[in-house]
Amino acid sequence: MVKTVVRIDDLRLEFLSQAGPFEALKGISLEIGEGEIVGVVGESGSGKSVTAMNLLQLLPRTKINVPTGSISVLGHDVQAMNERQLQAIRGGEISMIFQEPMTALNPVLRVKNQIDDVILRHRHVTPKEAEQISLKLLADTKISDPQRVYESFPHELSGGMRQRVMIAMAFSCSPKLIVADEPTTALDVTVQAQILDLLKERARDTKTSVLLITHDLAVVAQLCDRVYVMYKGEFVENGKTSDVIGNPQHVYTRALLNSLPEGKAPKSRLATVSAAMLEGNTGEVIDEPIESVTRIARTGDTILKMQGATVRYPKDYNFFGRPVSFHTAVDHVNLEIKEGETLALVGESGCGKTSLANAVVGLNLLSDGAILYRDKNILDLNEETLREIQIVFQDPQSSLDPRWPVWRIMTEPLTVGKSPGKSELRERAADLCEMVGLENSQIDRLPHEFSGGQRQRIAIGRALSVRPKLLVLDEPTSALDVSVQAQILNLLLDLQDEHGLTYLFISHDVSVVKHIADKVAVMFQSKVVEAGDSDQVLTAPTHEYTRTLMNAVPSLNRAFAA
Amino acid sequence: MSEVKVSRTGGLLGTEEGKTFSWDKVRQVANPEIVIAFTLFTILMVLAVFGHFLQTHEPMQGDLLKRFTPPGQEGYLFGSDHLGRDLWSRMVDGLQWSMACALTANIINLFIGSTLGLLAAEKPGALRIIVNQFVYTLQSLPGLIILICVVVVVGQGFMTLVLTLGLLSWVVYMRVIYAEASSLFQREYVQAARLAGVSRWSIMFNHVLPGVRASLFVVFAFHFAGLLIAESALSFLGLGAPLGVPTWGNMLAESRQYMIRAPWMLIVPAGAIVMAVVTMNLVGDGVASLSRKKGRSIDV
Repeated sequence: MVKTVVRIDDLRLEFLSQAGPFEALKGISLEIGEGEIVGVVGESGSGKSVTAMNLLQLLPRTKINVPTGSISVLGHDVQAMNERQLQAIRGGEISMIFQEPMTALNPVLRVKNQIDDVILRHRHVTPKEAEQISLKLLADTKISDPQRVYESFPHELSGGMRQRVMIAMAFSCSPKLIVADEPTTALDVTVQAQILDLLKERARDTKTSVLLITHDLAVVAQLCDRVYVMYKGEFVENGKTSDVIGNPQHVYTRALLNSLPEGKAPKSRLATVSAAMLEGNTGEVIDEPIESVTRIARTGDTILKMQGATVRYPKDYNFFGRPVSFHTAVDHVNLEIKEGETLALVGESGCGKTSLANAVVGLNLLSDGAILYRDKNILDLNEETLREIQIVFQDPQSSLDPRWPVWRIMTEPLTVGKSPGKSELRERAADLCEMVGLENSQIDRLPHEFSGGQRQRIAIGRALSVRPKLLVLDEPTSALDVSVQAQILNLLLDLQDEHGLTYLFISHDVSVVKHIADKVAVMFQSKVVEAGDSDQVLTAPTHEYTRTLMNAVPSLNRAFAA
Repeated sequence: MSEVKVSRTGGLLGTEEGKTFSWDKVRQVANPEIVIAFTLFTILMVLAVFGHFLQTHEPMQGDLLKRFTPPGQEGYLFGSDHLGRDLWSRMVDGLQWSMACALTANIINLFIGSTLGLLAAEKPGALRIIVNQFVYTLQSLPGLIILICVVVVVGQGFMTLVLTLGLLSWVVYMRVIYAEASSLFQREYVQAARLAGVSRWSIMFNHVLPGVRASLFVVFAFHFAGLLIAESALSFLGLGAPLGVPTWGNMLAESRQYMIRAPWMLIVPAGAIVMAVVTMNLVGDGVASLSRKKGRSIDV
């Protein structure tokens, strides 16, 4: 009989805010057995992080109200325990891995102080013994030089290294339960794959239960035995991973799976969650796929050509302030985009794709080589033609002026060189809103009154206001939830269809790229290692790095692997 | 109670257009500090503007029969000085003189400092280097000594004082604006505007300047206090207002000889200086706390 490690029964939780109580959890019940890896998957605002924090009673007790529900962790009723009792089990019997390794590790202490601290707190060993234990733990996380990492400060380590340190710390006191809150979201795809494998291996070896919180169904597919699907504070579905993913019962789960680009026909319209949830759902399984509109790329002449494009940043300076050495961010890249096409630039962080995108729009200057727009060097273009190239940034939060109302933001590019009247601008803003799927009544609102997806629509509207021909999109959906991502991808495809736009799409998300790109270029350490038709590059890659990348991408199919 | 919307990115001040004033918002942020600060400030302003109507005597007119009258006696609210002049009325005159001087100099400082700060912050280059070096040099000079030298050379008078203070004390504005504007110029929306071809002046005026507005208010308040003190110090040394003009510094200087005999001659101007400076500092604090960002709630 499998022992129960965690049992939550009908838990309700409210946040006490100025505007009245906000119900974050609406009666959830959860169970984790010994040695099980359980996932809670949901989008932002669903309440999954609240669940995790509540297990360890990490939420400020004065700000919340728990009307009903019990939480039993390893037989302890955590809600009845005081701070001292909780401290005894936190780190010892239960430990947590956070999302942002940099903020979870103390930046002014060396790793050794932090790991040893945890060990000495919960286990009765001498400092010397603690050191040995720490080094062994670090070695177990497949760090090649444990001694060096042990002595380092967090900022001297890469993101993946820091997360391995976190995992080592989490396992240090042989906990019965590890709560991992989005442990790999901040990491590159290849690193993510390694960390997930590591977590699974260590958990199986030590028979530790894991509660994994994530928004990524593919991660759940790779790692978890059972999964709970969370929507607006409730568990709408739960069961074995292969069952939930292969045969989803609840409307929301189906909608979530349908809005993932993975496994759908390329360039088809993705189902969106809001559409599914609105259709007066009775929990019935809707079997017909939403109409898929496949688009054939209308391609014409080459619109953008990069010849030997090189971007270098100065690294060291000599006494007179002149740079003596450089860091090459983009190394002699040759690419071509045809009109009406979508070229995706794929790579991990630090490979140079953003530097290249910035060079195309003119935010960076090339150190060598040239970028030709319609066969003319972009340095020689006049202002009007230059405006045919526009960019949409990654973070919708920081790319909009928080003090400006939406209509002003969207029409700012139109005020260059001319001074159109306010009413004219507002009219144009209303048109743009319609184009990007926002309501006209919203044009006087400020950015913070919109959600992330809506802000990205505003940014797209702004880019479209000057009727560009080439749109550079720098990871436009990375900061968005899966269902919102689906909406934005649909919008981008619709707009491309209507206006004959050309896209240079930068992303690290391979499934998104597979969905919308005609051509793909893979970048690794400032060079383009492979480029070609998206089918060919993504399914039958020739370069070794591309193959590693494709293998590392978590896929829903892993749920069905043994 | 109507729903109060306070911006997530900024506090009450220095936020956005289209914001309507509401008493609910005031109630939300009013704490004792702010209330006291703005009350005192109002009193100061009322006195500065309407002071003339509140004077009981002619400030320059002395009644030699009524010298050294203690406060409260014979119609002298704050007492009389060594020439029988009413200290209350002189204090009001002094207030007006000092305020006018400090305000004008402050405004000059604001324009010079902010302009240089913005220009230097915009982009790296020759201008930034030159402005920074110039400011470092200016900062390294002892302010009061320079002021004294200038006044000794050029002579006393309201305009001299105002111009000297105005042209030499703007460094704090430049430093604050430079720091804030530097970070604002790096924001993505500024880059987006640049890409769209928006002119640098438009960016500076419409994107960056609104962002530093809140800091400007705060510096204005604190700097005002500093200028009041500077003016009083100069007058005390006999280098500020011409003799006889009732500024607080002059009154302090005159009171030195008679401190023991008529301590109120010292307390009145000193107290006034302290009150005015403390008021402006509190106002500065109040404005700063109003424009501070609200704390984030827990992410669900």
